[in-house]
Amino acid sequence: MSALCLNRLQEERKQWRKTHPFGFFAKPKKDANGGLNLQEWSVGIPGKEGTPWEGAVFPLSISFPDDYPSKPPKCKFDAGFFHPNIYPSGTVCLSILNEGEGWRPAITLKTIVQGIQALLNDPNPNSPAQSDAYNMFRRDKIQYEKMVREQAKKYASS
Amino acid sequence: MSRESPYSRSLGKSLADTIKNSKVLMVGAGGIGCELLKNLALTGFGEIHIVDLDTVDLSNLNRQFLFNRSHIKKSKALVAKETASKFNPHVKMVAYHSNIKDTTLFDIDWFKSFKIVFNALDNLDARRYVNKMCMAAEVPLIESGTTGYNGQVQVICGTKTECYDCKPKATPKVYPVCTIRSTPSQIVHCVVWAKSFLFAQLFDQTEETSQFDESMDNVENNEEDLKTLKQEENELKSLRDSILDSNAAQLIFNKVFKTDIDRLLSMDTMWKTRTKPTALDYNILQESTKGISRNIINNDQKKWSLQECFVVFKDSLHRLQTRLKFDLNPADSLQTISFDKDDDDTLDFVVAASNIRSIIFSIETKSKFDTKQIAGNIIPAIATTNAIVAGICVLESFKVLKNDIEKARFVFLTPKHHDKVLTATKLQPPNPDCPVSSVARSTISMNTQIIQLRDLLQSLKTNFNYTDEICLISDGKLVYDIDFDDNLDRPVKDLGIADGTFLTVIDEAEDGDGKSFINLELYIKHNPAIGSPDSGLISSIKFSHIPIIPKRNSDNLNDDVIIAVNGDERNIVGSSKRKAPESTPELVESSKKLKLSEKEDKDGAIILDDDDEIISFD
Repeated sequence: MSALCLNRLQEERKQWRKTHPFGFFAKPKKDANGGLNLQEWSVGIPGKEGTPWEGAVFPLSISFPDDYPSKPPKCKFDAGFFHPNIYPSGTVCLSILNEGEGWRPAITLKTIVQGIQALLNDPNPNSPAQSDAYNMFRRDKIQYEKMVREQAKKYASS
Repeated sequence: MSRESPYSRSLGKSLADTIKNSKVLMVGAGGIGCELLKNLALTGFGEIHIVDLDTVDLSNLNRQFLFNRSHIKKSKALVAKETASKFNPHVKMVAYHSNIKDTTLFDIDWFKSFKIVFNALDNLDARRYVNKMCMAAEVPLIESGTTGYNGQVQVICGTKTECYDCKPKATPKVYPVCTIRSTPSQIVHCVVWAKSFLFAQLFDQTEETSQFDESMDNVENNEEDLKTLKQEENELKSLRDSILDSNAAQLIFNKVFKTDIDRLLSMDTMWKTRTKPTALDYNILQESTKGISRNIINNDQKKWSLQECFVVFKDSLHRLQTRLKFDLNPADSLQTISFDKDDDDTLDFVVAASNIRSIIFSIETKSKFDTKQIAGNIIPAIATTNAIVAGICVLESFKVLKNDIEKARFVFLTPKHHDKVLTATKLQPPNPDCPVSSVARSTISMNTQIIQLRDLLQSLKTNFNYTDEICLISDGKLVYDIDFDDNLDRPVKDLGIADGTFLTVIDEAEDGDGKSFINLELYIKHNPAIGSPDSGLISSIKFSHIPIIPKRNSDNLNDDVIIAVNGDERNIVGSSKRKAPESTPELVESSKKLKLSEKEDKDGAIILDDDDEIISFD
C-alpha cells in the first residue's frame, strides 16, 4: 500500500472519530496480528426514517484499493441484498464509486456512506444491477415495498 | 595507454577518480538495466551490485542484449553480471537473484553502503519501495523508466529534491462492474469481460475475479429465495460442471450470448438512451457457418466476421476441453487453465468471445492481433529508448557524484509528442504533503520480543512531547490510536513491529494555530542485547537521535462535498481543496526549443544549450 493511501485512510478515521453522521458506524477490521487493517472497513448504514428502510442498520463492507484515493473503494452489502442497484454479490453500483464516472479523490467516507443511504430509498432505474428487485420495483411497487420492509426486519437495529 | 586515460581526460581526473572509487547499486536487470549495466561497467564504476528477482525469457532477447538463447530461465542478475564483467575486468560486480524488498538480505545499512542507487525497474511497487529505502538511508537515487518511445530520468536526492512519491502517479485503469457486466461501450470492456469474467469462470476458478465480483460463490448463505439469483447461480454451476460435455459450446454460447442478453433486454429502461444489444442463437448461427474453415485463426490481422468468431469460439473451446481431459488427474479435481496472451488456445477463445460480445452490443470489433495487445496489457518496449534513458542516467549520476545537485535535471524523452526530443526541467523541492519525503526520521533499537506496545508508546511520548492523540501504524496496519488500545500489553514484535520494518508515528492533535506535528518515520532494529524484563524497559528503547519534529498546517479533509440525489442523476457538487491527480504528471510541457549547440568546456565535456536553461552533461 502506498504511503499516500495510508495517510488518507488514517485521516478518514480521524475525521470519522471526531464527527460522523447519526446512526452510522464505521471501523477498520482487525487482522490476524491484532492490528487494524485500514483498507477494510465494517460499516453500518441506517435506513432513513419515514421510508420502508427505517428501523434497520444494514451492514456494508468497504475495501479501499492500494491506489486509493486515485481509485474508488468497493462497497459491498451481504450477497443477495434486495435493491435494484445492488449486484447479486452485494456490490453497490453507484456512479460516485466508479472510476471514470463520478469518483473523485475528494469524496470522503462520510459522503460515500450518506450517498449509499440515499440510494437505498431512491434507486436509480437507469442502472439496474439485479433483475429481481429491479423488475419488482418497476412493475409492483406494493410487493417491492413489502420485500424491502421484510429485509429491514432481518437487519433490525436492536 | 591505460583504458582509463581517455575518459579520465574527457571527464576530468577528479570525477574519474570518484567514479573508480564508487560503489553503486542497480535494481533491475531488464530493458533499462542491461543498457545501464553496460554503461556503468564501461564508465568504470569501481563496484556494482545488481539485484533482480526475474529470470531471462525468450521475449526479452530482442532488447536485453546481455542475454542470449542459452540464458533462458537463468537469473537475469547473474547472467548480466557474467556478460558485463567481460566489458571491463577492473569493475567488481556482485549479483543477487533476489527480491529487493527482502529485508533480511537488504537492510538499511546495506543501502547506506552505496554512493548512488539506480532504479531500472518495471513496476510502481518496487520503485516506491526503493525510493522509501533511499530516503531513509539518505542515498541519492537515479530513477528511470520508459514506455514505448517515451522515457524519463529523475534525480532524487534526500531532502533537497522531490522524491518519487511527491507527485501522484497514474495507475492502470479498472472498469466498473456495471460496465463490464451489463453495459459495455468499448471493445476493451468486452475483452475484459471475456478474459477476466467468462474465461476465468470457466477455466480458471482460482483467479481472483473480485474486480468483477459477480461470481456466485457466496450465495449459499443467502436464505432469501431470490429466484433469478438462484437461476443464474445454477446456470453458471452447470456451465462449469459440463465444461467437458460434447455440447458445452452450445450451452455456454446460449447462456452468455442469448439468455443473459435477453435478461438484460428485459430491463427496458436501461436501453432508453443506449443501443439495445441483440441476442444470438447457437443453432441459427451454426447453420450459417458451414464451410468456414478454422484456419481463420491464423489470420491475426483480419477483423473476423460473426460467423468466423463463432467457428473460432467452438474450435478454441474444443482445444481447451481436450487439454482439460488430457490433464485430468482424478486426485486433483480442480483442473484449471490460466489466460496467457502467448497461449493461443486461451487467446483464441478470448478473441472470439470478446468480438461476439462486441457484435451483440454494436461495438466495433478488433483483429486477433489488436485484441492480444489489449488482453495482454502489452506496452511496447523499444531498445533505443532504453539505451537513451540508460545513457542519461549515467550523465545525471556524474552531477550527483560532483555534488552539483543544482545542475541535475528531471529529463523527459518524448520524441513523438514534442518538437523537442529531450526536455530537461529543474528539480523541484519536496512536496510538503508527501508522506514519504516530508517526514522526520530516526532509528529505534530495542528488544522487540519483550518491549510491549505500552512501553514504546510511553517512550515516544516522553522523548517527543507527543499528545494522547498519537497513532502508530506498522506495515500498513494501525496498531494503536486513542480509540484502539487493545494491543498495549503485547510485545511489539507480535504486532509486526519487527527488525527492518518502519513504524509511522502520527500525532493527530492540532495546536491553537491549527498546526500539528509532521509524521515521524522510525526504522526498527531488533537488538536482543539491550533490555531484560528486570531492568527498566522504557530506558532500554534507544533512539539513534531525537529529531526535532516540525509542525505544519493540518491537512483536514474537506466535507464541503455535497451529494445530490435528484431523480435519476447522481452528481457530486461542491468544492474541494484536494485535487484529483493529473493523469500523466510525468509529461511536463515545455515550449523551449532545444538548441544543440555543442561546445567544449574546460573539462572537455559537451554542453547542450537550452536557452536560459543549460542541460550540462558534464
